[in-house]
Amino acid sequence: MQINPFQRQCNILDYALSSLWRRKLKNAGILVIFSLVIFLVASFQLLTRSLLGTADEILAFAPDITLQKLSAGRQVDMSEARLAHLAGIFGIAETMPRIWGYYFDETNGANYTVIGLAEEKIAAAGFPLTGQEETGFLKRGGVIMSPAVRDNMGLGERRAFSLFRPDLSQVSFRVAGVFSKETNLVSGDTILMCLEDARDLFALDDNAVTDIAIYVTNPLEIDNIARKIAEMMPDTRVLTRSQIRKTYQAVFGWRSGFGSICLLSALASFVILAWDKASGLSQEEKREIGILKFLGFETRDILALRFWESGLVSGLALVIGLTLAYIHVASGGALFQPILLGWSVLRPELFLTPALQFSDFLLLFSFSVLPYLAATIIPAWRSAIIRADTVI
Amino acid sequence: MRIELQNVKKIYNQGMASEVKALRSVSLSIEQGAMVCLRGASGSGKSTLLSIMGCVFPPTSGKAIVGDKQISRLPDRFLTLYRREMIGFIFQRFNVLPQLSVIENITLPLLPLGVSPKERVRRAKPLLEKLSITHRQDFPAGNISGGELQRVAIARALINDPPFLLADEPTAHLDTRLSLEFMDIVCGLKKAGKTVILASHDPLVADHEEVDRIIDIRDGQLVLPKSP
Ligand SMILES: Nc1ncnc2c1ncn2[C@@H]1O[C@H](COP(=O)(O)OP(=O)(O)O)[C@@H](O)[C@H]1O
Ligand SMILES: [Mg+2]
Repeated sequence: MQINPFQRQCNILDYALSSLWRRKLKNAGILVIFSLVIFLVASFQLLTRSLLGTADEILAFAPDITLQKLSAGRQVDMSEARLAHLAGIFGIAETMPRIWGYYFDETNGANYTVIGLAEEKIAAAGFPLTGQEETGFLKRGGVIMSPAVRDNMGLGERRAFSLFRPDLSQVSFRVAGVFSKETNLVSGDTILMCLEDARDLFALDDNAVTDIAIYVTNPLEIDNIARKIAEMMPDTRVLTRSQIRKTYQAVFGWRSGFGSICLLSALASFVILAWDKASGLSQEEKREIGILKFLGFETRDILALRFWESGLVSGLALVIGLTLAYIHVASGGALFQPILLGWSVLRPELFLTPALQFSDFLLLFSFSVLPYLAATIIPAWRSAIIRADTVI
Repeated sequence: MRIELQNVKKIYNQGMASEVKALRSVSLSIEQGAMVCLRGASGSGKSTLLSIMGCVFPPTSGKAIVGDKQISRLPDRFLTLYRREMIGFIFQRFNVLPQLSVIENITLPLLPLGVSPKERVRRAKPLLEKLSITHRQDFPAGNISGGELQRVAIARALINDPPFLLADEPTAHLDTRLSLEFMDIVCGLKKAGKTVILASHDPLVADHEEVDRIIDIRDGQLVLPKSP
């Protein structure tokens, strides 16, 4: 008798589908919980990837070298006069004195990052803006802010607002433009103004800056030049872009690693639960397998049956969980932002592009579908080799 | 196409404390087209004997020929393949899956044979009709009467058109009317050329006029008829 192996597999798949349907309540329950757990883990994974991507973009705008002065191990401001020393180092294309500070807005309970740059540098940087003032230049009294800051201050379309100096006297400002969304993580709570205004706001000495951004002509020279600067000015900290990237990645990596461990243990406990549920074949299921074996199903047919059943449930859960996670992250990743960006009171409205790497997919697959398959097929193996005569 | 057993022994759990000698040297031969009744008290070894003739498991020792093959040494997998072809089996408790429909139950043996759904229905139709359960074909098997269940079990045993039909205490859970009905169906099958072997101690079965031969069994051994 010739057996069509394809049709045989189709028949078994068909039978698997109908048994899933027969136990639809149990299987739907498993599907929902399974999808949810995969959704959580995948969201986290996608969000981390996407944030790392965003961080990379930001770093692309960061200077090659950042110079800061340290005193008693803490960063303090320094004099603009140091620029003159740098001029002597060959290979520096540009230096940019900056004031980088944090302003606490008591009325709104939020922290803003205030960045002061020289007028002409702001113009040259050409930040992508919306709602720009006619001139396009940042004159004294004008600031560029992120949309989130504007919303947080409740400015709407109004341009005039004021901030407080340390002695609580007021400084008036004007919104000269709003960052467009691309630069979100750094500009999420950023107010950009000219150097003099920032000095005024923080009541710094004339000529004081918090750091100096340095651009190098030849990227291969960055480390070399950084070392020269460090030797020349032993009281400073010299940060290269790659060092900053490492810090970023360490922060994200740690946070997401921690989160992943929590979530993976959730997944693991689910799998243990599923194992418990699936491995204890009920008397009814055992009888069914016995009957099928008696009627001519071979051991491999029974295993194929179980493989289809649990493969369909866990595969579907993986697809549902991943799809939901993708949508979740693409629409802002609301669930995880507090964990990942916990340092900012003002939560920047992130513009994320979910990025799924194959390795993430593999990780999820091996933590979800594989153990579930094992959990259901191994006990089925034990019952599949039950002798047919048990039903007599 | 016959069944022949020579010195067949079956020991369950051999070597263990729970060892049971279910069959002690049974020899018999059943010719094609016969209707035979295995008669004996409960525990006498009827089901065990039927299982060996039905290619469910091989004997512990001795020789068993079913059809034209010696099955005594066949590995489990080949026994299954051979059973699919040669044997239709009706269980004492029917062993029908209650959530599946009548027609799904009947066509279950065709699934591992790679028979397409359309062909499965085509093969089931005449059986459903012959056993007058066509109107129940899409009912869940759990929702039909005992008599109909019995007929579903018969239809399932016949779906592969096997030469041998074996039934283990088929009337144990049926009333007199249904028992007689069962015997009628089985007699029809005998007339159609099937070899029928019934294990039962029900006189309705054993004393039926169409039964060609009664084989008495006691404590795992055949009881030879006393010479007159
Ligand atoms: N799977 C088994 N394992 C151990 N002992 C069994 C098994 N099946 C049957 N027996 C024993 O073998 C003997 C014969 O049983 P069986 O063939 O079922 O008799 P019958 O069908 O006539 O009641 C009995 O003593 C029974 O307890
Ligand atoms: Mg019995």
